[in-house]
Amino acid sequence: MSRVIATLSRHLGDVVFSVLPSIPYAQKEKNGCPGIAVSAKQLTAAARLDGPVAFHDATFEIPCGCRTALIGPNGSGKSTLLRVLAGLTPIRSGEVLVAGESPRLGRSRIAYLAQRPHLTELFPLQLRRLVQMGTYAHHGWFEECQHGDEAIERALTRLGLSGLADRPVHTLSGGQLQRALIARAVVQGAEILLLDEPYAALDQPSREIIDRFLFEEGSAFTVVMATHDPADLGRFDRILEMRDGTVSTRHACSGHDHRHA
Amino acid sequence: MTTAMLDFLLQPLSEPFFARALLAVVLSGTTCACLGAYVVLRRMAFVSTALTHSILPGVVGALLLGLSPYLGALVAALLTAAGAAWLASRKGTSEDSAVGVMLSVMFAAGIALMQQANSWRDFAGLLFGSVISVGNADLMVIGTTGVIVLFGLRALHKELELAAFDEEYAALLGARPALMRVVLLVLVALGSVACVRLVGALLTTALFVIPAATGVLLGRTVPQVMAWGTGCALLGGVSGLYLSYYATAVPSGAGIVLCCALPYLVARIFAPRR
Repeated sequence: MSRVIATLSRHLGDVVFSVLPSIPYAQKEKNGCPGIAVSAKQLTAAARLDGPVAFHDATFEIPCGCRTALIGPNGSGKSTLLRVLAGLTPIRSGEVLVAGESPRLGRSRIAYLAQRPHLTELFPLQLRRLVQMGTYAHHGWFEECQHGDEAIERALTRLGLSGLADRPVHTLSGGQLQRALIARAVVQGAEILLLDEPYAALDQPSREIIDRFLFEEGSAFTVVMATHDPADLGRFDRILEMRDGTVSTRHACSGHDHRHA
Repeated sequence: MTTAMLDFLLQPLSEPFFARALLAVVLSGTTCACLGAYVVLRRMAFVSTALTHSILPGVVGALLLGLSPYLGALVAALLTAAGAAWLASRKGTSEDSAVGVMLSVMFAAGIALMQQANSWRDFAGLLFGSVISVGNADLMVIGTTGVIVLFGLRALHKELELAAFDEEYAALLGARPALMRVVLLVLVALGSVACVRLVGALLTTALFVIPAATGVLLGRTVPQVMAWGTGCALLGGVSGLYLSYYATAVPSGAGIVLCCALPYLVARIFAPRR
């Protein structure tokens, strides 16, 4: 029964997609990391359009390949900064470039993981489909994605999810879901990962898998991660501290500079 | 025994009005069930109620002006969606209350217009559905809207699914979740126009919500939800039609909705716990 419907749906899809053009979601990006992943000058932003300023006159740089920790007390603007870099929150003033361009939506090279992702509850979706959503970045309107299966399998394996591919998303644990969202970012082809407290409420195994993935040698990601864990900081190349609306760089990145230059 | 059964099923089909009604039920049942999957998953049942109720002033107004009732219905439904979106765009009015305002205003306008038209009786079919009066022109409208809706759902499947599941990620990819919401509202407006003839303005929401709610209990993916929902709508729709044919006390619209609720109840009781 379900096979008949799947076949029917595929044939209907063939007809529909053969008459429609394929249009990308957003304008194409320039290729290659210019050496500096993120640069901010006198950057001021607020969490809400009419709300108070979250941080002001922030000036800092993050080289490509650098793992940066974003620390500071609650409400110091860590989440706002990450959302600004992702293009979700507009800036008030100043200048910011992410991979050489002003932040905007529709950039496949940048991935953002919210602290609490707003996913619709009890949505009928299997884990593999969730990860597959990352490939949409390379398709655009009016196209079903048939390609990228290999990339999906590889991402699932790297994040320890290969046995769970057919599980409904709402039955996953918090750690499994977090790993699935990272896998989606990988499939998307993201080079810059903006992570808002990804370790909050994760069990040890999930934490270790994500750690290994982000910090292992040869991993080419630029990571900007908001974190509260002081024990964590040793592994980062650079620390941005946010306090009382200001941002200060604590120690410089070494070893990873200009990896993509 | 079997001949009696066959006779029971085939005898009504020899009447042209029943055959037309059956085709209409199959077409709009499929349309509404597939569309309903998103209505249910996005928790838009109330919005869809508002859209379907606003068909009343649309149709009555169109009749008073001498225009096509389907055109009037579509315009009124789109007006309701736009009005609710506009009201909710200001802080201080939640979307819920914006929809509530539009729903009651449009329905009240419909009642006032019915008074103008001076004949409540003529509009009973509009309120409660009159499947037996479906003509060939109605079938054309139902078929066309059905094709448009199913085409849209298939063409934008991955975008609609993504926007319904993870709005922020859709925005990050540039897949315009706000636009997808508008597209969905337009499709719901089209879908309600397609089935108002069957179950009436008051019950059209049922065709969106009940089959899809059944589908959500049984399906593990969005296409599966749509498939189970379509099954439920066809089963309920066809048996409701037979019910109202043999038990003349049951109006066809009410019969269809009641028969759709049965598979939902069964699924609700026996579906594996998720």
